[in-house]
Order: sequence, then structure tokens, then C-alpha cells
Amino acid sequence: MKVLDRVWLRQLFALAVVLALWEAAGQAGWLNPLYAPPPSRIAAALFELFSQGAIWSHIEATFGAALGGLVLGIVVGVALGAAAALVPFVAELLEPVMMMLNAVPRVVLAPLCIIWFGIGLGSKVALAFVLVTVLVFFTVYTGIKQVDRRLVERVRTLGGGRWTILREVYLPFVTAWIMGNLKVAVGFAFTGAVVGEFVGASRGLGYLLSFAQSTYNSALMLALVFLIMAFVLAIFGAAGKVEKRLLRWR
Amino acid sequence: MLRANNITLSYGNVPVLAGASVSVEAGQFVSLVGPSGSGKSSLLRAIMGLQETTAGTIETSGLKQTDIGILFQDDALLPWRTALENVALGLRLRGDDPRHALEQAEVWLERLGLTGLCGRFPRELSGGQRKRVALAQVLALRPRLLLMDEPFASLDAIVRARVTQDVVDLVEGERIGVLLVTHDLEEAIALSDVVYLLSNGPRAHIASHYSIPIPRPRNLVKARSHPAFAPLYERLWSDLSEVVDGPRRLGVAA
Repeated sequence: MKVLDRVWLRQLFALAVVLALWEAAGQAGWLNPLYAPPPSRIAAALFELFSQGAIWSHIEATFGAALGGLVLGIVVGVALGAAAALVPFVAELLEPVMMMLNAVPRVVLAPLCIIWFGIGLGSKVALAFVLVTVLVFFTVYTGIKQVDRRLVERVRTLGGGRWTILREVYLPFVTAWIMGNLKVAVGFAFTGAVVGEFVGASRGLGYLLSFAQSTYNSALMLALVFLIMAFVLAIFGAAGKVEKRLLRWR
Repeated sequence: MLRANNITLSYGNVPVLAGASVSVEAGQFVSLVGPSGSGKSSLLRAIMGLQETTAGTIETSGLKQTDIGILFQDDALLPWRTALENVALGLRLRGDDPRHALEQAEVWLERLGLTGLCGRFPRELSGGQRKRVALAQVLALRPRLLLMDEPFASLDAIVRARVTQDVVDLVEGERIGVLLVTHDLEEAIALSDVVYLLSNGPRAHIASHYSIPIPRPRNLVKARSHPAFAPLYERLWSDLSEVVDGPRRLGVAA
């Protein structure tokens, strides 16, 4: 079929087939709706969320926490990663700390963040921040260490000093590394925000997930999962566009 | 113009050069040949200040650091800058107004046959084109001394011949002194006024040097059929073989 020549059309077609089979199985009574509600019930739950309008304040809370943690994590991760790569003493201090933070499944820090920063926005931002910072730290630290020495020498022999080398070589090189990991960082930021809300919050998509779980409302839970996936995919798309624009030289 | 006297250098405890001396006069094309690992590139890097020496002196009478340009084996262009921006970079770093730097860069790219490729990134250029951009980047700075470390080694034969002839025409026209590191004896004789032969390392030194009596301006194809070429090549090859195979007393060719 000519219409299925495009990859995204084939993917959409496959998704439609899966949803149709899932719906049919649900309608036939082969799936217990308590555990696996059919797509129509999930869609109805989604529609209800938006038609009542209450979802917006939850979306705002999750987005605020995720984006706050993402921005702060990138800024601090870049600063610490650059400092560690350029100053050996800083690396001696920071590397073991970051290694430990990286080794711990960071979601277990969620209860601690709640204790330290309360059930408000702060604890979610903090958790997203920790997740993103560790990732960005290692990205920048490794990136700077792998900068092509020939480019540094080239700029130096053209008359460039320390700041010129930083601006002309290190900055673009590390930007490329960060852009390569931006999608992962976005995923981490949302993980931090949602898990933080799940553990303790009064607002947010994670809070709604927790509510749905406590009421055994699997249709609402799956609706929220799909909603979060849609948002993260939309951000991935935007990040991909930024990456393409910034790294058009690749 | 350039006198590197008794240069001694090592990498950690590994001695590389022991008392190597070379000199380049204004407008003179000098090549440095020798066995692999003899320290040819290290000597060039030491002259450029990229490699520390343990003994010896480097005199660049009448030259400022900015009068010396270097072309590496790798073109080492910034991949995130276009050909035009790469060439303009050196000019900007020397204090040129950015607009003037771009204009000058364009002139040099055109001069090296890259008209219409100014806006391309290095990955969008062929090996020969990238080499020309790197050459334009260095020549745009109007160096009085050009150091080249096997700059054409990665190019295929046809592109290499064309780029090399471009370089010869430009350095002859601008009276630029050149010190070229190469492993290609034919290239060294065809291009140079003087060829230095480094001994085998470690502790390499200049084993001999050869004056090349082929007149300028030089056409690299015709230079190879000059009566002096074949005897010089034989002599150089024989001396290089002796240097590699074992110590023998080497003379200085006239």
C-alpha cells in the first residue's frame, strides 16, 4: 500500500491495530477492566479530566517543577562539570560525590526531599534538580575532557588566548554533548517531578497518579500515564528541533 | 629569519632530539625529512612554542609570534564554523574588524579556488577543499614564516599535486619562508631550496643537508624532470637508508 510507505504512517497504523485489539478484548470481557480498562474508558477519563478543567493546575505544577529542576540542573551541572574538568582539585572533591549520587536510585531521595523542602513545589524541583544535575555534570565533565586537542592548538596558533579557546572550542563542543543528552535530561526532570508528587503533594500529575492508585482507578492512572508521555514526547520534539538548529554543522 | 640551534627535547624520560639545528631564510623553502619517530614534528612544534625544549635556542629575528603560521597534517578546522568563519577567525583574533575579517576571508577563499563554498561547514567539504580552507586560514594572516607538518599527507595524488602547486605559487609570490616536515623525498626535493635529513631517533640530530639547485618559480611537474632531481633523490634516498640501517659518516651535498 502506497499510503503506508511513510514510517510514521506505519507506526500510527500499528498503534491503531493494537488499540483496536485492546478495545475488542475489553468489550468481549477477556480483560478485567479493574486492571486493564479498554482504550475507550481511558479516553473517557482523559476527556473528563480536561472537561472539568481541574487538570490544568496539576499540569502547571508538574511542568513548573520539571522545568525548574531542568533549568537549575543544567546551570549547576554545567558549572560543576566545567569546574571539575578544568580544576583537578574540584574533580577530586566532586567526582566521588557525583558517583555516589549516580549509584543511588535517585527516586529513593524523594522522601528525603519531602522532609527537607515540604510537600510544596520545592521538594519536586529539588528531586528533578538532583536527577538532572548528576546527568549534566558527567556529560560536561566527560565532554570537556574529550575536547579535540588539535582544535585547541589550532585556535592557540591563530592567536587565541584562554578565553577565546573557551568560547571557540570548549563551549560549542560541550553544547553539542549537552544537546545530545537533553532528551534524557528532560525525561529525568519529569521523572523527578512526578515521583516527588507521587510521594507527597497536594497538586500535580504525580499526585493525581497517587490518588488514582489509592482509589484503584486504573482508567485514570493510564490516562495520566499517556498524558505524561504525550507531554514528554512534545518536549522531546521541541528539544530535537533546538538540537537540529544548534548542531546544524554536524 | 629562523634559527633553531641545538634543539634537545624529550617526552618524559624518552629523549627525542639531541642538538638538532635548522635555519630558514626569508623566502626560502626548507624541508625536513627523516625516519618515522625521529622527531620531525616535535621540532616543528618546539619552534611554534607548542612543545617545550630541554636545551637549545630558537631565534626568530625580526619575526613576531603572529608572523609565524602553522599548518598541521589534520586541517583542524572548527566543525561548528563555516569555511568563511574559520578563515576569518584568525583575522579577528589578530584584531581585525569582524566585517573586514569576513571580507578578507572571502578574498582568500576565492584565491584558493573555493568560490561559492564560503557558507559550507567543514563536514560538507572534501579533504582537498578542507585543506585549502586551512591554508587560507593561515595565509590570510600574512605569515612571513610558514611551518607545515605533512599537510598534504591525507590527500589523494591529484588533489595533493594541485594544492601543493598552489602553496608553492603563494609562498613564492609572497616570499614566505617555509619549513616543511615531510616523509616524501620527491616532494621535499621538488618543493625545497634546502632539505635537512634528521638521523634516526632517539636523540636524533641533523645528519646532513642538501641544497637544491632547481630554479624558481617552480613548476612541480617540471621540477621532477630537472637534471639535478634524480641524482639528488638517489643521494637522499641512500643517505636516509644509511640513517635508518645504521650509523655512517654522512657528508654535505653541494
